[in-house]
Amino acid sequence: MVLYDSSTLAGSISGSSSSSSKPPPFPLQREQQQDIDGHLAGAGYKVRSSELRKVAQRLERLETAMVNSPADLSQLASDTIHYNPSDLASWVDSLLSEFALNPTCPYEFVTDPVTNRTVVNDSWTTTATNMPLVHQDVSYEEQSLNNKLPIVTAMEEDSGIRLVHMLMTCAECVQCGDFTLATSFLEDMQGLLTQINTVCGIGKVAGHFIDALSRRIFQGIGGGSIDGGSAFENEILYHHFYEACPYLKFAHFTANQAILEAFVGHECVHVVDFNLMHGLQWPALIQALALRPGGPPLLRLTGIGPPSPDGRDSLREIGLRLAELARSVNVRFAFRGVAASRLEDVKPWMLQVNPKESVAVNSIMQLHRLLGSGPNRNSPIETVLSWIRSLNPKIMTVVEQEANHNQPGFLDRFTEALHYYSTMFDSLEACSVQPDKALAEIYIQREITNVVSCEGSARVERHEPLAKWRTRLSGAGFRPLHLGSNAYKQASMLLTLFSAEGYSVEENDGCLTLGWHNRPLIAASAWQAVPDAPAEFPAPDTHRPS
Amino acid sequence: MARSNEVNLNECKMVVPLNTWVLISNFKLAYNLLRRPDGTFNRHLAEFLDRKVPANANPVDGVFSFDVLIDRGTSLLSRIYRPATAEEPQPNVAELEKPVTAEVVPVIIFFHGGSFAHSSANSAIYDTLCRRLVGLCKAVVLSVNYRRAPENRYPCAYDDGWTALKWVNSRPWLQSQKDSKVHIYLAGDSSGGNIVHHVALRAMESGTHVLGNILLNPMFGGQERTESEQRLDGKYFVTLRDRDWYWRAYLPEGEDRDHHACNPFGPNGRSLEGIKFPKSLVVVAGLDLIQDWQLAYVEGLKKADQEVKLLYMEQATIGFYLLPNNNHFHTVMDEISKFVGSDC
Repeated sequence: MVLYDSSTLAGSISGSSSSSSKPPPFPLQREQQQDIDGHLAGAGYKVRSSELRKVAQRLERLETAMVNSPADLSQLASDTIHYNPSDLASWVDSLLSEFALNPTCPYEFVTDPVTNRTVVNDSWTTTATNMPLVHQDVSYEEQSLNNKLPIVTAMEEDSGIRLVHMLMTCAECVQCGDFTLATSFLEDMQGLLTQINTVCGIGKVAGHFIDALSRRIFQGIGGGSIDGGSAFENEILYHHFYEACPYLKFAHFTANQAILEAFVGHECVHVVDFNLMHGLQWPALIQALALRPGGPPLLRLTGIGPPSPDGRDSLREIGLRLAELARSVNVRFAFRGVAASRLEDVKPWMLQVNPKESVAVNSIMQLHRLLGSGPNRNSPIETVLSWIRSLNPKIMTVVEQEANHNQPGFLDRFTEALHYYSTMFDSLEACSVQPDKALAEIYIQREITNVVSCEGSARVERHEPLAKWRTRLSGAGFRPLHLGSNAYKQASMLLTLFSAEGYSVEENDGCLTLGWHNRPLIAASAWQAVPDAPAEFPAPDTHRPS
Repeated sequence: MARSNEVNLNECKMVVPLNTWVLISNFKLAYNLLRRPDGTFNRHLAEFLDRKVPANANPVDGVFSFDVLIDRGTSLLSRIYRPATAEEPQPNVAELEKPVTAEVVPVIIFFHGGSFAHSSANSAIYDTLCRRLVGLCKAVVLSVNYRRAPENRYPCAYDDGWTALKWVNSRPWLQSQKDSKVHIYLAGDSSGGNIVHHVALRAMESGTHVLGNILLNPMFGGQERTESEQRLDGKYFVTLRDRDWYWRAYLPEGEDRDHHACNPFGPNGRSLEGIKFPKSLVVVAGLDLIQDWQLAYVEGLKKADQEVKLLYMEQATIGFYLLPNNNHFHTVMDEISKFVGSDC
């Protein structure tokens, strides 16, 4: 018996992750673009034509070194941490310095990605098993998908396709302002929904999009009470989204790795979390700091979150719990809560950063909320990025949805969201436990509703893809800190532990993405403020010594 | 020892353009890091280093792509590449699987190379190659993300290829207008070429019609050490040692290189006499150390009275078809286009 899955259709419409007309594998600064070898660029490598010869020579040297060395040298080389393979010259150089140093104990040395100097390797980078898992009690469900696949008839497949057609046409009507026609499509679509399986695949996600379109047409774009589900509700939904699928775990895990690395050698550290929620990210960091060689630093955590309406100080409660954990592992810890309904209301003085501290700014899916609906002077994103820079953080970790949901044209946004969220729903189906899954779906549904039915200041889910964030952050005076192969490997291993097959971590020019069936859905990157650089300066190459 | 290595490096530098040399040497270096002497493979590092590109439903140079899940049980994904048409320059999300409109539309099922262990359908080098094939042959191309060794040995790659073939054959939207049938070609390089042969065999056995096989530097081998293997070992990016490693990783444990997967016309192979096998286009690079096996494959087809055209590119190394910066590339692309275009 051959089983077809209606999500074959969903899978096929998850294809587009880029709306740009050219698919560059990486963004380039204008001046360097002319000199990059075009053929190698097509293969995913950026090498300047003027450097080809030099890179070739170094490859030769490496070849000779490997041929003349003990057989297990490859093994050792593969244990080092690799950064940004697209930058071929740097990658080759980093391998060369591995071999140039003491070849009998290479475990001791790694290349610091920021300064490109070879530094002593801290044990946490190679002993991956030291990283404590955040939620030890998460159940690992054996995948038994073959028993659960629905059988989709040809008619259902057809209806699914018709539904997608109608959704697009309806969205187009909305864009043109023809609400009468749009409404009639809505009715037809509701009818079609009864004919197809709405438990999974296209039927499920289509239902949410139909709802969002209805809202837009009938309630207008003010957003009603969508974003205003109470903070308490939002936190619960967030928590279940955290449990149901690996996106947030990946975000936390990858950011923590980068923060740990940035804090090496620093004794007073201060993490600023742009959205504390239940503080799910921090127990792992606290435990990792407790275990670091040389002992833990003094850790300050400032958690930003919405004010609690009912007189409870939820921020403080979370702070207390984290403090308790820190105490139990002997980490000196101080917590401060900053209550703000919007990130742009936070002023840097509220964070009370001490100049002697090393600061990490952590933004998990928050920056996009600052993008506003037009380029004004002092738009919130510019203001916030500017004061972040003024804190001179050792690192800023940024995780964002990998999607182009901030395009001005409604139809484009709608199309992109349809692709993105069908992929995300598809991934949810594969790996969850109730009631996490149902509540996670509501969490995602709220995002969909916001993207589709809101405008202006009510539309806060203004996701932009990594390429755009790179440009924006570089232009604001930040330079990338590359996430390396150890973070990649550990993220991949975490995935296999917690999730179904179908998820993939990918390396993208120094950043890591997590996706479903080869479609990246969430991107993690790390940044550092360029010391006193003006806003328009192109980011210097971090692999050259500064 | 070091001296002869210098000679080797110099030789291969003289026959390929500098950027090709850098590309293939980089692969060689990276692959050396990934293969462990005990037969295991550093998959995490492999995926980290592999340069991948996402599918793009917006046409670039007239070609758009999207990913489909062909088999959920094995997570078998494939990437489909289609030409954007004049009437539909900007395909919309519902139109990705719109029926093909021409009288005859070749559908090329492509198997990427990587010696059964490396690369994916979304590897940048293969995404580029598949896009070229679309324009070249006015075809729809489906690139199969088959399971790889050593985690998945024989016959997984062939199973996945067969699953993809059945899937393609049963898509109404891929049927040519002329006869309401899907016009299927199989193509692949290196291990992909090997997969082409074995999937074609299965197709013939079950009566599924394949119009032609295209094998680019196909990966074959055998227990015996042939003259070309000895002469060219280590000279042009590839060593016998790494070839042996990949066969050990793919073939069932305990099997040697005369297993029919590796050596289809060897002592354990089967004759194709009397079988209606698809016509084949086999491209052999004159500087590829396994060419004796590839030429033996061509001979095996000829002996069984099968239609086969051999393209022997004397001064070509492995991977010459990855970058359009040499004559061999253009010659081969022309031949492929004629091979597919002669479908009637």
